[in-house]
Amino acid sequence: MRFTFERRLRQPGWLSLAVPVASVLFAFFVAGIVLLATGHNPLSTYRQLFDAAFLQTGSLNQTLIVATPLAFTGLAAAAAFRMKLFNIGAEGQMYIGAITGAAAGLYLGGNGGSSAFVIAAMVVMGCLGGTAWALIPGVLRAFCKTNEILTSLLLNYVAGLLLTYLIFQSQSYWRETKGFNASVFPTGKELPPSAVWPGWTIHVQGGITLPLGAGFAVAAAVVLWVLYKRTRFGFEAQVLGDSDRAARYSGVRVRRKILAVMALSGAIAGLGGASQVGDFAHSVDGDPNGLQKLGYGYTGIVIAALARYNPYAVVLVAFLMGGLENAGNTLQGANFPAGLVGVIQGIILFSALGGEVLIRHRVRIVRTKRGVAATEPGPAA
Amino acid sequence: MNIRIKLALALALAGVVALVGALTSSASHRATPYKVAFIYVGPHNDGGWSQAHEQGRLYVQKALGSKVQTTYKENIAVGAQFAQTVQSLVAQGYKLIFATSYGYLTKAFVAKYPDVLFEQATGTDQTKNLAEYFGRAEDTVFLSGMAAGAASKTGKIGYVVPFPIPEVIRHANAFALGAQLMHPGATVSLVWTNSWFDPAKEKKAAQSLVTAGADVVGQNVDSPAAGQYSESAKIPWVGYDSDAKKFAPKSWLTASVYNWGPYYLKRVKAAMNDTWKTGFYYGTIKDGFTKLAPYGPGVTAATKAKIAAYQRKLVNGSFYEFQGPLYDQSGKLRVKKGVKMDILTGGTNSLYGMNWLVKGVIGSAKG
Repeated sequence: MRFTFERRLRQPGWLSLAVPVASVLFAFFVAGIVLLATGHNPLSTYRQLFDAAFLQTGSLNQTLIVATPLAFTGLAAAAAFRMKLFNIGAEGQMYIGAITGAAAGLYLGGNGGSSAFVIAAMVVMGCLGGTAWALIPGVLRAFCKTNEILTSLLLNYVAGLLLTYLIFQSQSYWRETKGFNASVFPTGKELPPSAVWPGWTIHVQGGITLPLGAGFAVAAAVVLWVLYKRTRFGFEAQVLGDSDRAARYSGVRVRRKILAVMALSGAIAGLGGASQVGDFAHSVDGDPNGLQKLGYGYTGIVIAALARYNPYAVVLVAFLMGGLENAGNTLQGANFPAGLVGVIQGIILFSALGGEVLIRHRVRIVRTKRGVAATEPGPAA
Repeated sequence: MNIRIKLALALALAGVVALVGALTSSASHRATPYKVAFIYVGPHNDGGWSQAHEQGRLYVQKALGSKVQTTYKENIAVGAQFAQTVQSLVAQGYKLIFATSYGYLTKAFVAKYPDVLFEQATGTDQTKNLAEYFGRAEDTVFLSGMAAGAASKTGKIGYVVPFPIPEVIRHANAFALGAQLMHPGATVSLVWTNSWFDPAKEKKAAQSLVTAGADVVGQNVDSPAAGQYSESAKIPWVGYDSDAKKFAPKSWLTASVYNWGPYYLKRVKAAMNDTWKTGFYYGTIKDGFTKLAPYGPGVTAATKAKIAAYQRKLVNGSFYEFQGPLYDQSGKLRVKKGVKMDILTGGTNSLYGMNWLVKGVIGSAKG
């Protein structure tokens, strides 16, 4: 007897509800066993997790702070992956966007520009910074057929070092050099008030601030959706993703498409970087123990995969993932090891991703007779 | 279909957990103990800096028993993650928060929580609900440098350092001055890791220092990774922050270690009695705040005696490692004869402003 995976010819509608529900139930069940084995009450742990992510006073606010950059990096990944262009570099493109966005904010804000103008400039500069960084692997891929996975990944480290260099190892424009504190520990220069992005506060749960960046992320999702569903550009990109040759024969200009999609993906990630500066940090965070430790760019890839590259779904999954990360910090402590938090998060993600397979495939149990199985060629499952 | 899947996933998450939530009742509120939290930059058992703070936390918990409830948050990144962590701690009723690394807190940040008391290790900002604390580790680092100098045959010593900031620079300087006292002309080569806690980088840094000829390794970073490498390379090692002899029993010389517990206890008690006031605490050997960890097998009796003599002098004030004449790397006189460096005043000639390396240190103060 053996199991085989078969592609489903028809995907019944109820599956798309049943599978995620079952996946999450399964995750909670498995995590429950781990929790019981380590002497924790699973039910109260889940309650705490949920409270900390969405219900507690201030929790939604914190969830949005994590979800906003994740939405950007998730969209950046989705935009490129849709064409099977594997831009792993959202992390670095985000850093560069933060640097260029902050430069615009510091310079124009410092010279008395109006807030709307300064913020618009930060958005544009953030996008351009991310685009420029993304075009390095983009050009290499388009003209030299270099594997963009490796180049974009490695450029993340370069961008991280650049970020640290600007704040910790040089007297750069981005670094605060005045005052005694500046000599004790390096920090980024604080944005002038006109460069700080406004948020929209809803007065529930102790005040939930919807960051301007979250609005941009939703707008970016709409743009991406329209682009891929309603335009020739999007159609060609998808054809190119599915079959390089078919696209070529039908007259798609492949190089141009690679550059355009890479630029788009980088722009979204770069905008995320500008939002990081404008919405939250208000300075360039060069501390290797800060922005760089959070790995938003890499989590964005997971988000894009969970969302099956659908832009709207990316926003939703980013929100849920933000809650999960946020809750993890609340949960850990003297009585709850940080490692265990990671295990639970891992089980939930793994189940959610793994469940996707069951929507498109079904498991069949194939009974085989001994003699037949022995003569069957190929690896037996 | 994609949207439907994701919507369903969201609904599933929400539904299941809400159901679970409904089934379990929230913890009832009894007479609550005073809640104190500690936030660590690395793991609570890092074998160095964070572990020393964790021992301080346990000291407080043990001394005050059920009157306090303490917890910690480990591996917390500066910025958004720190802010989220504080927010959730405050929501859970924590009243006093020790942030054990610089860069975590700003005046603007603590102003958002006027009812919560904050203390930050190694910083300088003070407001009515933000105090700062640290200590004269440079004195004990100097003494540990003496052990390193005595153990070196070639006079080439390696020192693994995190960030090119005044705190680390003064420790590197103190270490070099101690080494040079025992081994005149000794040099101390620096390798920067750009991280407080990064075992892999720390190991590589130690490896590169030894490859370049160092015959003793010291460090100002948080993990014992450089020590583990030194043990395998049979090179004497000086640790930092915590007694880490068990990681390198043969190589271990000593380390400048912190005893945070008594300070934490004093501050927690003050907070509980409503007598807490902001301040800038700079602990000393005399306070029992800093000391040398027990020696390893490689420290000779003569070295121990000499270190003990200098420790007495540091305590009674007849010796101070940062008293002039002090020369920088280029040989220029930076601190005149007889002048003692102050903690906060004196610009780049203060402990908190030092941005230059003393003569005999090889490396850049810019990282």
